[in-house]
Amino acid sequence: MSRFFATGSDSESEESSSADEITPKAPGTTFTKQSLLLSDDEEDTKRVVRSAKDKRFEELTNLIKTIRNAMKIRDMSKCLEEFEQLCRAFLKSKTIVDKEGVPPFYIRILADLEDYLNQLWEDKEGKKKMNKNNAKALSTLRQKIRKYNRDYETEIASYKENPMASADEEEEKDEVESGSSSDSDDEPADAKSFLKKKSATEAPPPNASKFLKGAADEESSSSDGDNEDWDSDTSESDSGSEDETGRSTSMAVNFLKKTSSEGDRHTSEKKKEERKKRHKRKERIEEEAEEEAQEEGEGEWEKVKGGVPLVKMFAKGTEINTTVVVKKLNEILQARGKKGTDRAAQIELLHALANISNENNLGEGILVKIKFNIIASLYDYNPNLAAFMKADMWKKCLDCIDELLDILFNNDKIFIGENIAEDSENLASDSQEYRVRGCILTLVERMDEEFTKIMQNTDPHSQEYVDNLKDEGRVCGIIDRLMAYLEMETKGSTEEVCRVYLRRIMHTYYKFDYKAHRRALGLQGETKSEQDAEESEGEDSAFIMDRLCKYIYAKDRTDRIRTCAILCHIYHHALHSRWYQARDLMLMSHLQDNIQHADPPVQILYNRTMVQLGICAFRQGMIKDAHNALLDIQSSGRAKELLGQGLLMRNMQERNAEQEKIEKRRQVPFHMHINLELLECVYLVSAMLLEIPYMAAHEFDARRRMISKQFHHQLRVGERQPLLGPPESMREHVVAASKAMKMGDWRTCHSFIINEKMNSKVWDLFPETQCVREMLVRKIQEESLRTYLFTYSSVYDSISMETLKEMFELELPTVHSIISKMIINEELMASLDQPTQTVVMHRTEPTSLQNMALQLAEKLGGLVENNERVFDLKQGVYGGYFNRDQKGGYQQKQGGYNRDQRGSYQQKQGGYNRDGQRGGYQQKQGGYNRDGGGYQRQGGYNRDGGGYQQRQGGYNRDGNRGGGGGYQGQNRGGYQGGGGYQGGGGYQGGGGYQGGGGYQGGGGGGYRGGYKGGYQNQDRRDY
Amino acid sequence: MASRATLDSPVKQIQIEGLVVLKMIKHYQEEGQGTEVVQGVLLGLVVEDRLEITNCFPFPQHTEDDADFDEVQYQMEMMRSLRHVNIDHLHVGWYQSTYYGSFVSRALLDSQFSYQHAIEESVVLIYDPIKTAQGSLSLKAYRLTPKLMEICKEKDFSAEGLKKAMIGFEHMFEEVPIVIKNSHLINVLMWELEEKSTVADKHELLNLSSSNHLEKSLQLLMDRVDDMSQDIVKYNTYSRNLSKQQQQKHQYTQRRQQENAQRQTRGEPPLPEEDISKMFKPPQPPPRMDTLLIAGQINNYCQNVKEFTSQNLGKLFLAEALQGHNS
Repeated sequence: MSRFFATGSDSESEESSSADEITPKAPGTTFTKQSLLLSDDEEDTKRVVRSAKDKRFEELTNLIKTIRNAMKIRDMSKCLEEFEQLCRAFLKSKTIVDKEGVPPFYIRILADLEDYLNQLWEDKEGKKKMNKNNAKALSTLRQKIRKYNRDYETEIASYKENPMASADEEEEKDEVESGSSSDSDDEPADAKSFLKKKSATEAPPPNASKFLKGAADEESSSSDGDNEDWDSDTSESDSGSEDETGRSTSMAVNFLKKTSSEGDRHTSEKKKEERKKRHKRKERIEEEAEEEAQEEGEGEWEKVKGGVPLVKMFAKGTEINTTVVVKKLNEILQARGKKGTDRAAQIELLHALANISNENNLGEGILVKIKFNIIASLYDYNPNLAAFMKADMWKKCLDCIDELLDILFNNDKIFIGENIAEDSENLASDSQEYRVRGCILTLVERMDEEFTKIMQNTDPHSQEYVDNLKDEGRVCGIIDRLMAYLEMETKGSTEEVCRVYLRRIMHTYYKFDYKAHRRALGLQGETKSEQDAEESEGEDSAFIMDRLCKYIYAKDRTDRIRTCAILCHIYHHALHSRWYQARDLMLMSHLQDNIQHADPPVQILYNRTMVQLGICAFRQGMIKDAHNALLDIQSSGRAKELLGQGLLMRNMQERNAEQEKIEKRRQVPFHMHINLELLECVYLVSAMLLEIPYMAAHEFDARRRMISKQFHHQLRVGERQPLLGPPESMREHVVAASKAMKMGDWRTCHSFIINEKMNSKVWDLFPETQCVREMLVRKIQEESLRTYLFTYSSVYDSISMETLKEMFELELPTVHSIISKMIINEELMASLDQPTQTVVMHRTEPTSLQNMALQLAEKLGGLVENNERVFDLKQGVYGGYFNRDQKGGYQQKQGGYNRDQRGSYQQKQGGYNRDGQRGGYQQKQGGYNRDGGGYQRQGGYNRDGGGYQQRQGGYNRDGNRGGGGGYQGQNRGGYQGGGGYQGGGGYQGGGGYQGGGGYQGGGGGGYRGGYKGGYQNQDRRDY
Repeated sequence: MASRATLDSPVKQIQIEGLVVLKMIKHYQEEGQGTEVVQGVLLGLVVEDRLEITNCFPFPQHTEDDADFDEVQYQMEMMRSLRHVNIDHLHVGWYQSTYYGSFVSRALLDSQFSYQHAIEESVVLIYDPIKTAQGSLSLKAYRLTPKLMEICKEKDFSAEGLKKAMIGFEHMFEEVPIVIKNSHLINVLMWELEEKSTVADKHELLNLSSSNHLEKSLQLLMDRVDDMSQDIVKYNTYSRNLSKQQQQKHQYTQRRQQENAQRQTRGEPPLPEEDISKMFKPPQPPPRMDTLLIAGQINNYCQNVKEFTSQNLGKLFLAEALQGHNS
């Protein structure tokens, strides 16, 4: 059987494909045959052994058949291949062979093959005609078979003596094979004859045992893994072929026919076993039924279709009662998941059974039970997890669930539950409560998943998607009904209620509640459309969300449901612009801390929530919050992937097909997507509003950090453009606007951000477009004002606020407040002159040249430090380790030199800082600095980080000194102890000492630590 | 020429024809702009210890398209042609324009070395168009010092090599004083022109020439300082690695000795000597020449800035004094 996989390429020959068709059918057909034969219990006991053997043997015979075919057409390479498979298969069935002896047909093929090969070998001319591959295969095969046959010499000899005896047995097999092959021909006549033949050949027991292939499959599947895969494949191909026109009808008929008759016989057999002792009369009836079935099988095909065979499910005159129906149900269910079971037919059968039970008024209990199983088998219909339900199946499924819910609602005496054991079910008696095993919640959840799957697999831009989406109403309706059902007392546990609530939430959270929105806006919405107002009588989604989520928060015990509920709740809040609630909930939940431990779907939900939160913040004008919320998603550049809205192409090499499938399953359906362009635009605009004033304020700051890398990236891309045309895309618009803002030109900026193009692309997507636009204009004005002041304050001696007001079209108080804020934050060195309403610049900002000089000074500081390190290293290595005694004096001298240099440098630095003139506060600092060298350094650090390096230097020096001091005698150590203090902190000195504690060169140890720190520091600064 | 080659310093002074200066300026005006650099060949003669540069011609700008352009061929052709018209055709060096004094580079070093190696008296003239544009002609002649020549010859740019040669960034280039000399006829012409010129005196003597120049210099200086820092870091890493390895080596030998001693006491033969240098490959020392060049360049910038500021300060004092006088 594994041959199928070995040769499973496109270039399969026709022959092999026909063989494929045969094999799957075979078990089905034998099934029918067998059912007639099993008449006593003895047979049952033998089942397992025989089936295993037969399964093996059939495998072998199949292989042998293909070999023979190949021999006929002289396909040597095929022969070789098959022969190798045969050997392997034979080896597999060794246990059976040991028990039963080598099967004669096997010997026969070996002998025949050898003869045939020898014959070919002798035929020189024929050999010449062969193509290269074949010739090669021939020689290898010949060698192989020679070797192989050595083991079976005696058997082969005996076979050659008496070929007939063995051939007889073989005949049988061939017959069966021809039977099964004719089955695949799709011709009704053939099928008929086949059926006949079956009944004719029912007598010989060896054939009978064949049947069990299907039944025994489960047992043998453990030993032969291939088979299962094989099964699913065939069934798929079956269902596929059903769709074919022309053939399809006859095929389907064929199929139905078989199953029905199968059902018949199966039933009858069962009953026979069951009631054998009771009555002979019954047996006769049953035989009649059998005959009838047979007749039908041979006769008109029309009858088979529809309900006709299904009525036959029960023998004529059988009293149809609950137990019988349950038996029947179990029978049908036993075939579930087995090879060769036709799932579509099974569903039909179950439906029929439901009808029967309805007709016979067997009560609700049994109906519920059957419904459960119908739904389950509907879900089973697709064996593949990735495949989605077909539309008709889906409709059927929805109908079924609806009906089931109807029953449950109408009859509150029915109890359902997963925990009700099969034998404690009560389906029959009306007097007591029905107890049925099964979980409606699971079914509904599964339905919901199927719905998601259908949506995932539909092209979002097609009409089909819209049609499918219309089903969402039904899905929601079902969930609502289920919710109502479970909410009833004693119907559902809190856990179940939580689960169904979550389902409800999942269908609610991403929908914008337009009705509530309109209501909130006021009356004008109602006057517009009266009927709409009536429609919107229903609860606001906000209330629903609130109620459901709070229930889950209170009652849920699994963390996952609560997490999801929180996220959905936040999302819903954010979607409806309830920013503070959303933010508080997010902060209170502490989800940011541990979301990385959650499973991917929850993480996707989290990302979606964060994005929605960011967009909400943006709408509310909280630019900074918006930026922070969106930063994580946007900075990675994989927003699409993180939000589960598509796969990135570049990952193709990194993941295999399996992973891709999993990822595809995680995708959010299209109707729940968040617009990525909107997201990016919101992010970029927020970044622009933050970054441009920041850039203007820190134009000369060497340590300036980027707020948003992505924004800078966009700017750079914009700069690289050789030719600057009018902006086209959203990004270009933002870049152009940023450039305008950099110049303080808010009008241009405004026109770039808010215009027709951007409106249609982005802004119109917000529910409150006008508010957002107004907010944006205002923000642009304010930030432009700030930028303007940062950039051009050095040009002005003073500037009237009136002018500013006019320039930026802001109200005077706003201008006043912005400027005041800047002054307080020490961003702007100016003061306000109240009577004249002017801003008087203090002109204390360093000019660009001064800035440059400061930068240079800083860099030189770094250089000096680095240089010192070179020297320290020398000191450490040579002085500390090799000949520290001799070098002591030199070192001391050097130390002095270093200190001097450092001191002067520091003073210089101090001077700069004092010149830095950042207002009175710093002046005071400067004064403080002047107190002493050691503190000065510390002060430098405090002020602007420039001194950090110095502190680092101190650290470094301490380390050295610690090491050096430790080895070079006490007197020196003491002297340097002072230095250590100057360096700024006992702790650092300690660190250095620790580093130098080892024997291996104190300087080295201390140096290492210092160096590392220094390097990192520098690195950060450059960044 | 051969006799001159043995002299310690073949050139003590450089005398440049006005023609050469004008040609250089013209060359830059026409072809150079911004940071682009123009180069050319100097022609002249050595008279006693004085190098007289009497003519020059530019190297043609050639793009990457005509890669097969043969520069040497062009020079030879050019010199032959000049010879035909009876102009000095002896190659005595080359000139180069510069951008804010940033000329100390590896390329300059290499080409000047090859010049000086081939023609002993070669000089490189550095012409600073920006400073010239501000009113004072900036033209400087440099030669490599004999020490540097030696190092370049040996191609030993390791730290030890430089230390042995006792060379610092101060001793890399020597500046040769320049005299610009015109023929008497030209001088006469100049006088005449001056008499006739109607151009008003628009000397902007007190112009501080903005801080732009200073900023640019600072910017460049900063870049160099950054480079320097990087180099130092590199060197630091190297020496750290080196010392680490030294220790390892030391430990290894000690262990070996101990083991051998033990073996001796046990009467076993000592372990065979292994090649330690093979086991411990010394890390690649970073070339120090670049650092030296950077230092030279920094020095150069500093000189520039100093010069510039001192001039400006002078002007400021002058202006102050004038103001005081007026009031």
